[in-house]
Amino acid sequence: MYEKDTITALATPLGKGGIGVVRVSGPLVELVAKEMVGELPKSRVAAYRNFLDAQGTVIDQGLVLYFKAPNSFTGEDVLELQGHGGPVVMNLVVARVLELGARLAKPGEFSERAFLNDKMDLSQAEAIADLIDSASSQAAKSALRSLQGEFSKKVNSIIKGLIELRVYVEASIDFPEEEIDFLDNPKIGEDLDTLVEKIDQLIEQAGQGALLREGVSIVLAGRPNAGKSSLMNCLTGQDTSIVTEIAGTTRDVVNELIHLEGVPVRLIDTAGLRKGNNPVEIEGVRRAEKEIALADYVLVVVDLNAHRLDLTAHIDELLATLPKVENYIVALNKADLWQPEHVSEKQVLVSAKTGKGVDDLRALIAEGIGLRVSSEGTFIARARHLDALQRGIQSLVRGQALFGNNTAGELLAEELRSCQQALGEITGEFTSDDLLGTIFASFCIGK
Amino acid sequence: MSEKHFDVIIVGGGHAGTEAALASARMGCRTLLLSQNIETLGQMSCNPAIGGIGKSHLVKEIDALGGAMALAADQAGIHFRTLNARKGPAVRATRAQSDRALYKAAIRSVLENQQNLYIIQQSVEDLVVTGDRVEGVVTQMGLHFYASAVVLTVGTFLGGVIHVGMEKQQGGRAGDAPSNRLASRLRELPFNVGRLKTGTPPRIDGKTVDYSELQAQPGDEPRPVMSYLSTGEEHPQQVSCFITHTSEKTHDIIRAGLDRSPLYTGEIDGVGPRYCPSIEDKVVRFADRSSHQIFIEPEGLKTHEIYPNGISTSLPYDVQLALVRSIKGFENAHITRPGYAIEYDFFEPRDLQSSLQTRHLAGLYFAGQINGTTGYEEAAAQGLLAGINAARQVQELTPWCPDRSEAYIGVLVDDLITLGTKEPYRMFTSRAEYRLVLRQDNADRRLTEQGHSMGLVDDRRWRLFSEKLSGIETLSEKLSKHWVQPGDDRVEAFTGKQLSREYNLLELLKRPEVEIKALLAALDMDNNNVAESEQVEIDVKYAGYIVRQQQEIDRVKSQQDLSIPSDLDYVAVAGLSNEVSQKLCAVRPETIGQAARISGVTPAAVSLLLIYLKRHKASAALKSA
Ligand SMILES: Cc1cc2nc3c(=O)[nH]c(=O)nc-3n(C[C@H](O)[C@H](O)[C@H](O)COP(=O)(O)OP(=O)(O)OC[C@H]3O[C@@H](n4cnc5c(N)ncnc54)[C@H](O)[C@@H]3O)c2cc1C
Ligand SMILES: Nc1nc2c(ncn2[C@@H]2O[C@H](COP(=O)(O)OP(=O)(O)OP(=O)(O)O)[C@@H](O)[C@H]2O)c(=O)[nH]1
Ligand SMILES: [Mg+2]
Repeated sequence: MYEKDTITALATPLGKGGIGVVRVSGPLVELVAKEMVGELPKSRVAAYRNFLDAQGTVIDQGLVLYFKAPNSFTGEDVLELQGHGGPVVMNLVVARVLELGARLAKPGEFSERAFLNDKMDLSQAEAIADLIDSASSQAAKSALRSLQGEFSKKVNSIIKGLIELRVYVEASIDFPEEEIDFLDNPKIGEDLDTLVEKIDQLIEQAGQGALLREGVSIVLAGRPNAGKSSLMNCLTGQDTSIVTEIAGTTRDVVNELIHLEGVPVRLIDTAGLRKGNNPVEIEGVRRAEKEIALADYVLVVVDLNAHRLDLTAHIDELLATLPKVENYIVALNKADLWQPEHVSEKQVLVSAKTGKGVDDLRALIAEGIGLRVSSEGTFIARARHLDALQRGIQSLVRGQALFGNNTAGELLAEELRSCQQALGEITGEFTSDDLLGTIFASFCIGK
Repeated sequence: MSEKHFDVIIVGGGHAGTEAALASARMGCRTLLLSQNIETLGQMSCNPAIGGIGKSHLVKEIDALGGAMALAADQAGIHFRTLNARKGPAVRATRAQSDRALYKAAIRSVLENQQNLYIIQQSVEDLVVTGDRVEGVVTQMGLHFYASAVVLTVGTFLGGVIHVGMEKQQGGRAGDAPSNRLASRLRELPFNVGRLKTGTPPRIDGKTVDYSELQAQPGDEPRPVMSYLSTGEEHPQQVSCFITHTSEKTHDIIRAGLDRSPLYTGEIDGVGPRYCPSIEDKVVRFADRSSHQIFIEPEGLKTHEIYPNGISTSLPYDVQLALVRSIKGFENAHITRPGYAIEYDFFEPRDLQSSLQTRHLAGLYFAGQINGTTGYEEAAAQGLLAGINAARQVQELTPWCPDRSEAYIGVLVDDLITLGTKEPYRMFTSRAEYRLVLRQDNADRRLTEQGHSMGLVDDRRWRLFSEKLSGIETLSEKLSKHWVQPGDDRVEAFTGKQLSREYNLLELLKRPEVEIKALLAALDMDNNNVAESEQVEIDVKYAGYIVRQQQEIDRVKSQQDLSIPSDLDYVAVAGLSNEVSQKLCAVRPETIGQAARISGVTPAAVSLLLIYLKRHKASAALKSA
């Protein structure tokens, strides 16, 4: 037989609101079943159950199916959890399975195991090879997408911090006769704490769990009369905001909660941005700017009709004022009156008046805030990355307990190594030779 | 048997060659050791010290397998230290400054007294090759010797070029002729040859050194030993080392001499080690440092020569003299031997199998510096392994290749044959991912049993080892059955607060603040075998980590055990990118585990390989049925 660890993954591509299947294969299946649905169901008999998290809270409900080895797809014990909570919820299910000791399957790994365990005949070898090949290049692309922007910057700064720490700790072990006592530096302890904090924050921010609990906030911003309030009403399906043809209608901040793919999204309508001289409007603009600074995302609303001639310049001007460079979507409104030839990424044609394009706008928002999933999509890639961060921080927290105890230098080093191994799954391997190279570049070492 | 036919021939009597010859002979093979000069058997080409971080781990493994290096270091050691004494046991290391002459004598005496071993002073100039097999060697006098396995361990001698300033001359090391015939013959064979470089400092007459202002560094007490068989009684008289520093003036002199440095004028193309930089390198690369540390190490008890560790250089003699004299204590120093750099041939280690047999010629093994390593210990470890596998080949047994989780020897060989090397490779503990398991204190527990079954370990060592094992067992048994109660102040003196319940002593030892030595003393329990109680303590204190590393080892092991045929056609493996199949072709990994460690080989590529192998095996089975 082949590797003995337990793997899990979302087995079906997740569409909007559809059914998602989380598959688990390997020796931990029984444990996963007992922990998450209370018992190991009878083999091949579907049962309707609650899926529980570590605290016993219900994550989702759905069908659970158990296939006893060797009579399963992979030839190992297999558990399938079918839920309908949408991608975020299904991902919480996966996260719970991981917590119980499984690891995320490599692309194509279920099929690979099936093949290696004689569950497929030899003629399928080529097909499996193709599958692994295409699934892993797809996964690589998704991983790249997950790694864009802020997330990547933060991950890289964490890795950099970790390497710096390791350089000190390993140098103190392999070069004890140098004149620098690497571990005597109190900065090391502080750096370790900072690193833990940074990873913690990143997990919190990037975590889909946080998304589910707290939702995201999206501010509608743009020039007066662009149609912000009209779009707000379209998205909420209510007459939340006052709409008139007078530029400068909205003065105060208007709030409404909607649900996108099961995730709470707070929409915030604001005053149109311009330099007015009416004190009420000036105050409205000030509040709008404050909301823009605080929001997770900005939905930039543009009046196509008013900017037929200078559309690109107008959009650039608006984007330049945004605080978070990455987190925006542009709604090209009043598309019923005029349409540009070219619509770029992160832009969508919409008409608040006719309702045309509003579904596209919803989809773009969902994708933009990371709720949309294509087979091995950004979402899963992000889950992989979070899993790695999670394992990394566990090692560091153990390392914190060891720091200051000089006789445990090699144990601290071991925790840092495990952490690097975990984070290496995100950014690529960092070998012991790379580490030695960094040590030699940083210190004058050697006799 | 004729005087011409042997089971195994070893070429070269350095650190690799001597361990190879001894291992092969211990295993019962009729072994011939050919070396240029019998007087230089076991010679230390560079600094007079054995051991150090990562290196003593290798020495203790050699010792656990019955090798000579540790015992010789104990007989020649004139200054012993435990490095990282304040850190945990996994990274503690032992170093022995050695009397060069005593070391050589110790090695020579082991060689001369080894059964089955024949030594002849001859320089080898050619190999006898038939087809793709090596069958023997030819020496400078035209003598032919035959054997089914030949181990080459010729160190820095192949095409050796010695540099001092802009002067260069051919040589294998100062005072020895290079092996140019053999080098050009090897270049005709299908090996990939590269050039590396290393260097050594000038030696100084100790009578001309003023020690009065220098800081003395005595050896450690209690004095550590290198071999498990040693007690410390075999150590000769002990002496101190001293520490001094370079000054700004030294650095100015060096900078002014760089225009005549072979390193900085492009005379040397061989790559030198980053961790053993020459003093000119240190001054150029770390220009902000105003001073560098120098250890003054005695060369021996019967000589005044000293080895100033830290000023390896290939600057011209006049610059060497000026720079030496700018150093505190060396104001009137007399240089007895100038420092130099040496360039030499080495062979791409990725062309080797994990047995150290070359892929291109069956029966030919490479060990030591010629595989791109540096250091006596690294050389000796490879020599031992090559000697073992040459003997096993003769005995028609499968090769013995310890893996990364068993021994530093395994890490060393796996790194070399999987990753290759761009600079002289030295061992560091950070290269071992299973560092907590691979300790110098448990080398015997990891290897002696295997050594015994291969015929490498003599009766005395086996008896001592078996006693140690049962001692460890008895002691932990005893501790697990000895219970202490809350309120027992002999114990609570350690824990600092009242025990919450009844504890046995093994449980108590898990606490970082409880040390076995003090605990046994407080309870009036006898504790005279330190080696045994130390093992019990380490086992308990590291337990959690060891379990975790063991899990990682087991996971990797399932892949490590899946072997790949050596003639696999990687181009035919569906889905592998060109780049990956080229890398696999270059290394020809022996197992899936090794394949996965090649840089650039992705998990997906490993999956594709697995699927290919499975299909291949099944269709082969079909055909034969
Ligand atoms: C100048 C210099 C500086 C060094 N600096 C360092 C250092 O700072 N740190 C460090 O760790 N290591 C250093 N070393 C390396 C260390 O000396 C070697 O790593 C170690 O000696 C290698 O052992 P070996 O057995 O492979 O080869 P060697 O010890 O070189 O032994 C080779 C043996 O082969 C014999 N031989 C050669 N050609 C033939 C032939 N054709 N036929 C028969 N016998 C032959 C030689 O006589 C010799 O006995 C240095 C070496 C030199 C020369
Ligand atoms: N033709 C057309 N008119 C629209 C569309 N969306 C909004 N309008 C009209 O544009 C005018 C301004 O709409 P609002 O929604 O009040 O605009 P706003 O951006 O909220 O304006 P302020 O609150 O004043 O900043 C109203 O007369 C809307 O009817 C659209 O898609 N097409
Ligand atoms: Mg409005």
